[in-house]
Amino acid sequence: MPVKKEKEPLIMHPRPSSIVAALYTLRDLDTDVVILHGPPGCSFKHARLLEEDGMRVVTTSLDESGFVFGGHDALVEVLEKVIERFNPKRIGIVGTCASMIIGEELHEAVTEVQPDVPVIEVEVHAGYRDNTKGVIMALESALACGIISEAEFERQKALLKEATMVEKRHGAASKEYLEPSRGDLKYKVAERLLELIKQGKKGLNILNAKKETAFMFADINLAVAEVAEKLGKSSNIINMANLDENVGLPKNRRNAREILDDLQKKDMEIHHIIGGLDEYPVAGNNASQIIGEKYPDFDFAVITGVPHALPMDNIKNMELFSITNGPRQVVPLKEMGHKHVVVEIDLHPKTLGVNHIVESEFGATLREMAKNA
Amino acid sequence: MPKQIAIYGKGGIGKSSTASNVAAACADEGYRVTIIGCDPKSDSSITLLSGRRIPTIMDLMREGMDIKEEDIVFNGYKGVKCVEIGGPEPGIGCAGRGIIVAISLLKKISKAIEDTDLVIYDVPGDIVCGGFVAPVKKGLVNEAYVLTSGEYMPLYAANNICKGLSRLEMTLNGVICNSRGAPNEENIVSEFAKEIGSQLLAFIPKDVLVQTCEREGFSVIEKAPASNISGVYRKLARSIMTRNEGKIPVPLDDIRLRELTKI
Repeated sequence: MPVKKEKEPLIMHPRPSSIVAALYTLRDLDTDVVILHGPPGCSFKHARLLEEDGMRVVTTSLDESGFVFGGHDALVEVLEKVIERFNPKRIGIVGTCASMIIGEELHEAVTEVQPDVPVIEVEVHAGYRDNTKGVIMALESALACGIISEAEFERQKALLKEATMVEKRHGAASKEYLEPSRGDLKYKVAERLLELIKQGKKGLNILNAKKETAFMFADINLAVAEVAEKLGKSSNIINMANLDENVGLPKNRRNAREILDDLQKKDMEIHHIIGGLDEYPVAGNNASQIIGEKYPDFDFAVITGVPHALPMDNIKNMELFSITNGPRQVVPLKEMGHKHVVVEIDLHPKTLGVNHIVESEFGATLREMAKNA
Repeated sequence: MPKQIAIYGKGGIGKSSTASNVAAACADEGYRVTIIGCDPKSDSSITLLSGRRIPTIMDLMREGMDIKEEDIVFNGYKGVKCVEIGGPEPGIGCAGRGIIVAISLLKKISKAIEDTDLVIYDVPGDIVCGGFVAPVKKGLVNEAYVLTSGEYMPLYAANNICKGLSRLEMTLNGVICNSRGAPNEENIVSEFAKEIGSQLLAFIPKDVLVQTCEREGFSVIEKAPASNISGVYRKLARSIMTRNEGKIPVPLDDIRLRELTKI
């Protein structure tokens, strides 16, 4: 007899949707232009954000007539237009709910137009509970086009599975509904952190950020290192970061290198590389192991990015300062035992289209307060 | 690669009867056969399963089941693998999307459409939306057959189907006449077939035996193997299994179609 799948009711949107997740994946694969095949209003916000990041995102603008009569001609037309206007080296075509429900075949338009550059077709809609499904579908197509290797595909798939688990355990998918919160006041938290550093307490300074968000999260870790240096306590601080430049999709490797270069210029030494920029779901485990072996008696830890991916086992006796960009991450982090939780509002948009570290509010607060310390 | 065929034709013209008898006849000859019912009515395989209704893919999906191969693929007459896609109640939801989802699920969890000699897609009479051509568009059908009688309306539907096939650049491998007893029927359908660039593969005479056996839940091949009508189905089955050539059909205009039914 078939087994009934256990499904908790889902009333909070996955963040982002699986369509948007596919778009970001195509960006990481250095796709030049993506055509969203569907209504003009679909995923507009992220389409615009990705344009900031250098990838063109256009739409076939299906309307009522398109829903009824099909959108094949529109897709052919937009595909031709995109080739002419942008001269892309790599194109993506991504489905939407509307086009997938009416049974549009993305491949038919590609067959008709016959572009001489690779086209990654992703027949995705937003009806998946786990947005990682959109990533996997995009990677499957990239694998079929020969753009990524089987090994990279398997690696990504394992990471995504873990990312989904991280969100379900302690993240934004851990409860039926989570109240958004702005977290603790930045100057109060900065005050306490400075106090600990000044007292000569031993601290861990950990960056475990998701992809490009590291451009701003790293600024916080950098600020911690700078103020410790200023107070003559830098030997008490151990820096860890998921900035391995040798793993991941092209963009992630590039970004890791750019951030490392910036940190080096500011004389910040990373004592432990705990993974790559796409390894945030597992890099926390690496950090945890290192902490267990070398730093179990430290007094405090600053964790930026995805703090909830760090298992509590080896840090539960430390005073925890976590910095997230998810207002819905505050409650779960507090429940895990993080004493101070700071939210960097609107962090993600500020990390698109950049190749240097971007100043954070918490970093700026720390630096400013350290002036009088 | 198995022979993957779809039988098209006006609703009620006898597609399911033809499909199940061809399936049974091919199984008799030792072929491994899979039949996929794509109609929300889900009655394609019932005469291969002694009248038993099997759960459809859509039934299980609606109940939120974790679907495995053994839940949806059933062995019928002489090992014919039977699958029913099913669909929502009339007037609710989207049957076309159901076919798309079911086809991709089937591809993922079952070898029934790969490890076999013949796959028959029994598609609904009216291809009302994109989903109903999913098997063709997903490359799962490589031969199409049109079933019609010699009456005007079924021929009109058959001609419309040819329009669709030519738009999809899908070849037509033959026309089958399921007789309704119209005058001069064989000639009319034969001429129609010729003019659209195909040929008449079989003329199935009207025989009450088909309905009698169906009422009891069987194909004529199984229940009345020695009958004349069984012989006709066997011949059709052999011709489907041995022929390969098909052509993209050239549909007729409506005036010519009307003329044809008067010859």
